[in-house]
Amino acid sequence: MSEISSPSPPSAANPGGLVCSPAPPAEIDASCRPPLVVLFLCAAVWLVIGSAFALIASIKFHAPEFLADSAWLTYGRVRPAGANCMLYGFCMPAGLGVALWLLARLGRTRLVLPGLVTVGAVCWNLGVAAGVGGILAGGSTGFENLEMPSYAARLAFLGYLMIVVWGALTFHQRRERQLFVSQWFLFAALFWFPWTYSTADLLLLTFRVRGMAQAVIAWWYADNLLVVWLGLVGLATVFYFVPKLTGRELHSRYLALLTFWMLILFGSWGGIPASAPVPAWMPVSSAVATGLGVIGIVAVALNVQGTLGGQCSKLLTHPSLRFIGFGVVAFIVGGVISAAGALSEVSHVTQFTWFTVARGLLNSYGFFAMVMFGAIYYIVPQLFGIEFPSAKLVRVHFWTAAAGILLLVVPLAAGGVVQGLKLRQPEIPFTDIAKGTLPFLRASTTGDLLIALGHLMFLANLAGLAVRFYRARAISAWAAATAEIKPAEARP
Amino acid sequence: MTAGAEPQAGRVAVPVWLIVLFFLLLYWGMVYFDQASGWFDAQVYTPYRSGAELALYQPPTGGVDLSRGKAVYENICGLCHGNDGMGKPGQAPPFAGSEWALGNPNHMIRIPLAGLAGPVEVKGQQWNLSMPAMGAALPDDDLAAVLTYIRQSWGNKASAITPEQVKAVRTAVGSRTQPWTADQLNAIK
Amino acid sequence: MNYGPLVFLAAFFALASSWCGFVLTPQLQIGRLQQTNTVGGAASRYPVARPGLAQQGMEVYRANGCAYCHSQQVGQTGTLLEIALTEAGTNQAATIAALRKLAESAPDQPARLTLLVPLPPGLSNAASATILEGLPRTFLRSSTREAANAAVKTLNATSAKAQLCIVPVGPDLARGWGKRRSVAEDYLFDLTVMPGSQRVGPDLADLGSRQPDANWHLRHLYAPRLEVKGSTMPPYRFLFEKREIKFRPSPEALALPDELAPGAGYEIVPKPAANALVAYLTALHADAPLFDAPRTLPPSAGTPASTNAPVVSGASATNAVPTNAPAK
Repeated sequence: MSEISSPSPPSAANPGGLVCSPAPPAEIDASCRPPLVVLFLCAAVWLVIGSAFALIASIKFHAPEFLADSAWLTYGRVRPAGANCMLYGFCMPAGLGVALWLLARLGRTRLVLPGLVTVGAVCWNLGVAAGVGGILAGGSTGFENLEMPSYAARLAFLGYLMIVVWGALTFHQRRERQLFVSQWFLFAALFWFPWTYSTADLLLLTFRVRGMAQAVIAWWYADNLLVVWLGLVGLATVFYFVPKLTGRELHSRYLALLTFWMLILFGSWGGIPASAPVPAWMPVSSAVATGLGVIGIVAVALNVQGTLGGQCSKLLTHPSLRFIGFGVVAFIVGGVISAAGALSEVSHVTQFTWFTVARGLLNSYGFFAMVMFGAIYYIVPQLFGIEFPSAKLVRVHFWTAAAGILLLVVPLAAGGVVQGLKLRQPEIPFTDIAKGTLPFLRASTTGDLLIALGHLMFLANLAGLAVRFYRARAISAWAAATAEIKPAEARP
Repeated sequence: MTAGAEPQAGRVAVPVWLIVLFFLLLYWGMVYFDQASGWFDAQVYTPYRSGAELALYQPPTGGVDLSRGKAVYENICGLCHGNDGMGKPGQAPPFAGSEWALGNPNHMIRIPLAGLAGPVEVKGQQWNLSMPAMGAALPDDDLAAVLTYIRQSWGNKASAITPEQVKAVRTAVGSRTQPWTADQLNAIK
Repeated sequence: MNYGPLVFLAAFFALASSWCGFVLTPQLQIGRLQQTNTVGGAASRYPVARPGLAQQGMEVYRANGCAYCHSQQVGQTGTLLEIALTEAGTNQAATIAALRKLAESAPDQPARLTLLVPLPPGLSNAASATILEGLPRTFLRSSTREAANAAVKTLNATSAKAQLCIVPVGPDLARGWGKRRSVAEDYLFDLTVMPGSQRVGPDLADLGSRQPDANWHLRHLYAPRLEVKGSTMPPYRFLFEKREIKFRPSPEALALPDELAPGAGYEIVPKPAANALVAYLTALHADAPLFDAPRTLPPSAGTPASTNAPVVSGASATNAVPTNAPAK
């Protein structure tokens, strides 16, 4: 057991004498361990389940009869189930886990009440399980990225609240009062989701608004989750790990401040597609906001490049940095694509095609998931104090995931552009257009397969490490419990 | 950096070109919004760019085209009633401001179908002439058009008359050839 | 200085601004929409609530995630102003001359009207008569409304009957997916609005207008490749049941070719969910002319320009039960 830090007496730097001295990292990690183990392990399991669903959905394009007789596994159910597993089963819990660890470490304080956070994590996962089951059973709400039926979504939301309340308290009780860049992003992210989710729940699931207003609110919610929330947590992780693992300082806190403002201000105004059957000012506002958001993307690129000192090969040194570097590149490419989509000439071609799907996958898989992998591969050995059973598997995972994401995103994007150009020519019959997308979909199915393999490796590595740790703990606890009582200890 | 040390943030300033780019994009955004958004008008959808543009594309109203009525009027009625609707003393009473023209459509439709004879008061003046059934040979829509033209020109503001109304009255009147009198018309609701 | 509250305020302000923009204002502008009137011709109320079976069908559509492959929103890239003649009138030479004159451009002004039908100067009477025989036909396209109105007046004065047509155009509309763009009023009575974001399959906004046959839909759901060659849509056989023929075949049984037929003594019958879904699909319409999506119905011969018959939209209660006997 490490010593508990005691409050320091008043001094020049600490006039009130109330701020405690920073807690040592090992203590912080130990306090984070129970909730983060639940969060990360369950996230890895959801990842595998989600990629299985995604694979089934992908195969149905090449063999429409595949599992066609099962209502539970029809494309329209298995596709949102897979997407929800990925988003709510992996992305959000992994993001929350990393966020809690970062807030604790950067605040130099232990995580507040980790037991309750663990309960919240369990609650979240129960909610997601009920939600995915509900979608497969036909209870989908019909709103994209909000498909989980309300009973499940509210249970998960309860879990989220339990996690973030203690996260916010951890931030509040930080012993290092000066804020690092990542802490702004994470603190904003903590309560971004409750506001957007509770609005969506009230106006779409509880007291349903009328007509097209539903779709506008659903698009607003989805954009704030996928672009802003994932962006805030992902960038916080990038801005922490790139300087930390290269041993240099972050290039510019002002560029990071610019990124923060661009993301929360313009990121939250995106989301309405150009073709939407709503008054013109809504899609135009979204397009303008997305176009302006490119400034934030450029600021991230400058910041990361400056931190590396222009030597991008540094990204290959540490295994976690490879993942994070890939994520940064995916973020920049995806952001530029989104900004280009602000032009109506571009959006008229890419709307309703696989291109929009590819852009979404680049954001959630290419950027956020890869950054989370990098972070988790660093954090988990710190939590347990032991290294991964197989470091080689981490490297193989990276190359599998990178190849998989490229094989998934690039053919879908290309196929989407071809599809979109053909859709603009009414003389081309629709069945020809659908057939024309099949070769691209075939390539993307291989990408799906590789990604699923990568996820299995991730789960195997994490589970192996957890098993090794807890088995060692169990063995030593058993040994301590069954050891012979020495005569000196025996009571007379 | 020592183990356990957390990263620090440097204080390099934001490059000026990035700020300039931001303002250029802001300008583009404002111009684009001004041109394409319809300025928060709830009825303007792309490709229309403003409420004024949308108004230009509204279909013609379901009523009859006044230009058609004018053509028929100047062909048939204006010879006696005057192209300016002021009537000609000794020939035909005026339409402009006339209570008969602005009044019950059922009266106005019946007059050209069978004609009008005998004393009739129009705008405080007594007229006692005989009008033949000038509209008996006109098709329903032409008769409706000319009656609507009469009711909506020269300052007159009354409702349009539709071909259905004309057809209904024609059916009700049947093959009457006897001209109406003012009293008979006034008795019809 | 404690920057924590500042971070909170910044995030609060940013999210509040987008909440006002995309939650509050849409609710005020389109969330409180009521039924509206159609424009042009006799006005009718729009939209009309779907019949009950179609509402249930919407739930089937939602539960099976049809919106992940099919969008339900058509777009439009422009609107044309065209002048059509519905009746030739008595003075055909004058009409042709008027058409030619309208399409001329003054030396200092750009041509605002273009002729869509070639009318060479030395046209014989017989040729003119042929051209004016196949009416209704669109002759002119205008770039401004006032030129179009003037053209209609001029043509009406030559005893022909001209009609101004408002024609929405765009790739979606050219494909037959709709007659004008989708607007918020189209979704007013949808319990769950599912505009869709992918076109893996064709757009369904106006499906009831182009495919009103319930039997086609049932066969297409059971075996998509039966009706659409090369389709990648999965079959929805779980919406149907295979049951033994007792006493006599059901009028609802599907007529299937031999390779898909269920075998002697059995028939494929749609479950209530399939009937509901088909009722919903055939009730999908988006063609009524509205103030924010104006159009005129195509001109029809002989009827006067004034009476455009109202479009019955959204209310075709095609509660159709298929009545074909099974192939034996």
